[in-house]
Amino acid sequence: MHAALQQLRISLTLHYRNKMALIYSYLFPLIFLLAFYVLYRYERVVLARHMGELLTVSVLGGACFGLPTTMVSERERGVWRRYRLAPIATSMLVLSVIAARYLILVTAGLLQLAVALAMGMPMPQHPFDLWIVFTFVSFAFIGLGLVMAMMADNVPAVQALGQCIFLPMLIIGGIAVPIATLPDWAQHLSQFFPGRYAVQALQACILGPGLGNTGFELLALVIIGTGGTIAGAKMFRWDAQQRFARRSGKAWVSVALMSWVVVGVLAESRGYTPAAARSSEERPAPTTAATAPPPQPSVPAPSSPSASTQERSAIPPVLTLSEAEKKAASGGATGARGISNPRATAPKDKPAAEAVPSEKPSAEKPPANSVTLPHPTPPSWQAVTVADIERDLVFDRLPSDSGIVTPIARDEEEPDPDTADHLRFIQENLPSWQPGKVADPVQRVRNMLYVAAVPDVQQQPIERFAAQAVFYQLQQDIPKDQLIKVLYWIALHPTDGDDKAVGDLWALRFTSDPVDLEQTRERAAIYGVKLLGRLLGKLPRGGS
Amino acid sequence: MHKVVVRDLEKRYDAVLAAQGVSFEIDDGEIFGLLGPNGSGKTTTLECVIGLRQPDAGHIEVCGMDARQHPTAVKEKIGAVLQTIALQDKITPREALELFASFYTRTAAASALLQRFALTEKADAPFDSLSAGQRQRLAVALAFVNNPELIFLDEPTSGLDPQSRRDLHAEIVRMKRDGHTVLLTTHNIDEAEQLCDRIAIIDSGRIIASGPPRDLIAASTSAQSVLLRTAPPLAIESLAGIPGIDDLMYENATITFRTKTPAPTLSALMQIVSELEVEVLELHARKAKLEDVFLALTSEESQ
Repeated sequence: MHAALQQLRISLTLHYRNKMALIYSYLFPLIFLLAFYVLYRYERVVLARHMGELLTVSVLGGACFGLPTTMVSERERGVWRRYRLAPIATSMLVLSVIAARYLILVTAGLLQLAVALAMGMPMPQHPFDLWIVFTFVSFAFIGLGLVMAMMADNVPAVQALGQCIFLPMLIIGGIAVPIATLPDWAQHLSQFFPGRYAVQALQACILGPGLGNTGFELLALVIIGTGGTIAGAKMFRWDAQQRFARRSGKAWVSVALMSWVVVGVLAESRGYTPAAARSSEERPAPTTAATAPPPQPSVPAPSSPSASTQERSAIPPVLTLSEAEKKAASGGATGARGISNPRATAPKDKPAAEAVPSEKPSAEKPPANSVTLPHPTPPSWQAVTVADIERDLVFDRLPSDSGIVTPIARDEEEPDPDTADHLRFIQENLPSWQPGKVADPVQRVRNMLYVAAVPDVQQQPIERFAAQAVFYQLQQDIPKDQLIKVLYWIALHPTDGDDKAVGDLWALRFTSDPVDLEQTRERAAIYGVKLLGRLLGKLPRGGS
Repeated sequence: MHKVVVRDLEKRYDAVLAAQGVSFEIDDGEIFGLLGPNGSGKTTTLECVIGLRQPDAGHIEVCGMDARQHPTAVKEKIGAVLQTIALQDKITPREALELFASFYTRTAAASALLQRFALTEKADAPFDSLSAGQRQRLAVALAFVNNPELIFLDEPTSGLDPQSRRDLHAEIVRMKRDGHTVLLTTHNIDEAEQLCDRIAIIDSGRIIASGPPRDLIAASTSAQSVLLRTAPPLAIESLAGIPGIDDLMYENATITFRTKTPAPTLSALMQIVSELEVEVLELHARKAKLEDVFLALTSEESQ
């Protein structure tokens, strides 16, 4: 035990003396964090939405590059051979190396989280669960790192092998590219990669319901971690001259690979679909809470006298939960998941997720999940006044039209030929698109806004032009004064109504790939505010 | 009492037999040398004995224990300095000694080892800032962290400057004086002759001779070497009639040859010198050295 602790202490000490190791372990994750922060236009909650990916990238880098690089370089220079002269067990040394790497990963993750919190990201919903999941993720990737360390004969081979793992995991493994935006084959393939389960499980603890809903993800990580650890231990070599090329050594690689296959097959057989890609059919019934709870409060509570003046934003800053959600939070309701905070805020330009039974407001009582502002709000969309809009919405903090979130093409902007063809088809068919003809004007506008929001979420090339077409069509179909009121109503009730229209987008030749509906509703609301700003002359018509 | 017994050791790397039928014993308290050219199998043999390599066949006994059956117990009793001095760049001598000491049940104090091997001033300096001599001293100090009964040194002086080599030789002699048993591999014949109580000459994976260096030399059938320089220089043709001359060479006005019959050959040589009336500037005749024995044995083996 003393030997293991000494080895652990020396491993950590040497790691912190190595500048390159520090850069890879701590600086790179922070660079990723800053990149996401800047990329997503400093949106705090969006950062929280990507924290699972960011933490997974950190673990992947530390475990699949850092760990094997350290082990292989020490083995290459003969350090491990020298250890072998001592009366110590292989398992003791390997365990101390794993423990050291785990501590490095935990500290790197904590640093990343701390900086994200300092940037304004809301506190993770389930910090303790997050630590547990982080441990599972670390186990899975450290197992993989061990296999790589045993396969690679030298450090350049680690880099090559690492890239073979890193890039596919980023691109089709569910880490850097949202699963929902991948083609079908890639979504199925991603089920064989641990990255997907890592992101899902971590994200569930940051914004979701915590550990409770991550059973399969954790199982997948355990299977992959166990396969890697067993294979790594069996292939262990003290000496660079001990050839990996032996058949017995190669055979153990198949154990690690088999664990991936087992996980993928299990996922396929269970029809596993991660939360972010769940379709509307799988969402909870309207009477229950949304799949992902809103982020924690980061602005003063309604009782604060300065709240209304300081925190006015494009989307109302304070939301309250429905009675059903409150019951769910106290364990009194079924179907509602992960909502433990009785008050939550939306980001300045993002609405939070919620669900209500009906789009139709009641004259006697506001909708159960309506936005609660520190002043009276109109009882129905018909009752909205310009004063309400002036009081509750601001238009100068919206994402830029030329940015990544809710982009809108400028008037003079020309699409490329393929996009132009699709755009022409949309322009021709949008007037007759069925969801755009429903009787309820609020639902009708909401449906039309989905036509802009879905390609935005999926980052399709047409996104900026689809928004333009939707704005034009809405102004054609609905009288201006009515449209203004409805858009205000949608801004204040982003999660009301239904999102079935998303399933009808194929009629406009959009892909039928699953899309994050919560995000789609948010983007629809932001597009709504952007159009409202144009109608009121608060935003330039030709784009910003 | 034998500290090490090796019987019929065999180790094969693919088609190459690196050790074949290697057998020797090392007595308690002696310095035993494995002498051989590069690639002869001496390092393979040593690494099989200390448990770094798994032999294909043979019996190895260390400190009375079967080394293949009880490798961990054997490792508690031995210390080794390998050819490559391998530590992490940023580890300090003190940390390395403390780390390696933690691996053993019986240990020496790091501070005492630092002092003994003149590393106190560099105790907290990173490994990559140490000189070759300091690194080698640290490697030897690491071999002593467990107060070993038996020390294995694999070509310990290769790459060292003369002063460091002399210091290490003194340290090896001290090991013997302190009661340690030492197995030393080297290709340096002078080193083996100077330090070892007994040596085994190994070539192509086989031990071709073993015993104390003096006995090996005495038992050698090697010829004596003769060197002659005269003024004016003798023409090499003038020696044609002298019997018993082998390997005759003429270089820089100096004649060298080997002879197994020194008395009649030198007598005939002196007669020619006298007849030709040349002045003898230099004349040497010397018995075979260990180097000659080694070269004779290894060349016979290669033939």
